[in-house]
Amino acid sequence: MPEPVIASVGASPLGRTELPGRDLFSVALAEAFDGLPDPADVVEAVYVGNQSETYEHQIMTGTLLAEWAGLRHVPAERVEGCAAAGALALRHAVKDVRNGEHDAVLACGVEKMTSAGTAGATDALSAAFDRAIEQRSGVTAPSQYALLAQRYLHETDATERDLAEIAVKNHANAARNPRAQFPKEIDVDTVLDSTPVAPPLKLYDCAPVGDGAAAVLVTSAELAAELDGPQVRVAGSGASANNIAVAERDMTDIAGARIAAETAYEEAGVDAADVDIAEVHDAFTVCEALLSEAVGFAPEGLGYQSYLPPEERADGWTDVRVSPSGGLKARGHPIGATGLLQALEAYEQLTGAAGDRAVDGAETALLLNEGGVADAVTVGHVLTTAEAP
Amino acid sequence: MTDADLDASDPRTLPGFFDALADGDLLGGVCGDCGQVLLPPRPTCYACGSRAVAVEPQSPRGEIFTYTAVHTPPPAFAADAPYTVAVVELADGGRLLGRVDADYDDVSIGDPVELAVREPTADEREIALDYEEDWPVHVFEPR
Repeated sequence: MPEPVIASVGASPLGRTELPGRDLFSVALAEAFDGLPDPADVVEAVYVGNQSETYEHQIMTGTLLAEWAGLRHVPAERVEGCAAAGALALRHAVKDVRNGEHDAVLACGVEKMTSAGTAGATDALSAAFDRAIEQRSGVTAPSQYALLAQRYLHETDATERDLAEIAVKNHANAARNPRAQFPKEIDVDTVLDSTPVAPPLKLYDCAPVGDGAAAVLVTSAELAAELDGPQVRVAGSGASANNIAVAERDMTDIAGARIAAETAYEEAGVDAADVDIAEVHDAFTVCEALLSEAVGFAPEGLGYQSYLPPEERADGWTDVRVSPSGGLKARGHPIGATGLLQALEAYEQLTGAAGDRAVDGAETALLLNEGGVADAVTVGHVLTTAEAP
Repeated sequence: MTDADLDASDPRTLPGFFDALADGDLLGGVCGDCGQVLLPPRPTCYACGSRAVAVEPQSPRGEIFTYTAVHTPPPAFAADAPYTVAVVELADGGRLLGRVDADYDDVSIGDPVELAVREPTADEREIALDYEEDWPVHVFEPR
């Protein structure tokens, strides 16, 4: 079976930009193919992660972006799974290379979230929730995650201050990331004193609305060697869907994330303790706590300690560094591109291209991307530069 | 009747469920194999995969399992904010999300509540899809 690798990555600026979605993609593609042959000489298929057609009144984004990349007559399609769309696109590309169907597949993601203001984004994101009960009750993304946070604070020793510290840590990481939407440090009082959005979550517990695109070239190891750039093995990929309505799920044991991560670990022949860095889906601070437990980094009820240096965490925690990019919170969260921005960060960390934010000796990364609320759909990938076991 | 004959009168469809709810009857699916309660009812059990799902009346009483308040609503609900939303664990074992007719500060996990049903307002009908226009709206009242 051919081994899929990431051969190149690129991204657009993140945040409030003047560029429409297709143009953001052009920027990401140009970075990914800098120094490489034209995409048309390499790429055999395209998957586009994209949350919502409401931002730009545009579907057919597979067709559109293939055209913008100069790829006529290749199979191309949009992949939808709310905020997990990017990792789903990556997973499709990985599977196509792994099963020998294609030697090179472009996984990309794009979202133009600022086109209709915060209200437009709030409305577009609410479409990810069950229409019959949840949407008609007026829930929003922050309030759905607040339901999880309220329960998490009730069941564990974690406090609102602990959740705030997760945001502080991710902003500190983003301050060293030139790609970040918010490359600045904040203090814990800034989080605790910020506007209530959905208690116990406040404005600074929430990832921002922003634009962005990312492009990840997945190829066979053989082709990547010909392209002559650094390569990172995609050693494992797992995905899981759970109920769409949050009421019908376990709200503190994020089972879908556990399954997606364990599937990826098993394929890669690693376990949680082997993971050096992780990009997890901290759309809201509580997510990082919950996911740290679900994927096996932290003992039950102690995932909130992700902000502490490894030596200060409770027994049973691994030494993993969580969200060195700054995470969704501070690196940015252009929904359909997020899963691919996670892959980009891991690629840069594992190939010595992470500059000031490099985690020393990092060899193996876990990517964990969610869509809907928590594990409505979850995708996990293990990326590594270690030799195959 | 097999599921191939499902029509809008069957409470395992949304129109059937909301028709009953409009009359004040909260119906749940109950799995014949594992006992899981499904709200709203549907033909297949998510917990075990069984298609042996019966429809049974559910108690409207329950307790707050978790809750929050929406301060940044979708545009359609802007006039209502902030409003309290909760997941309620019902006495017969199912869990259902809904608004709570109480201020956030007056709600705690474990508080007893009871489901009430009202007709949609003119504003709610305005944003409803054609097939949703007559669906009732449920709200949890403290008790």
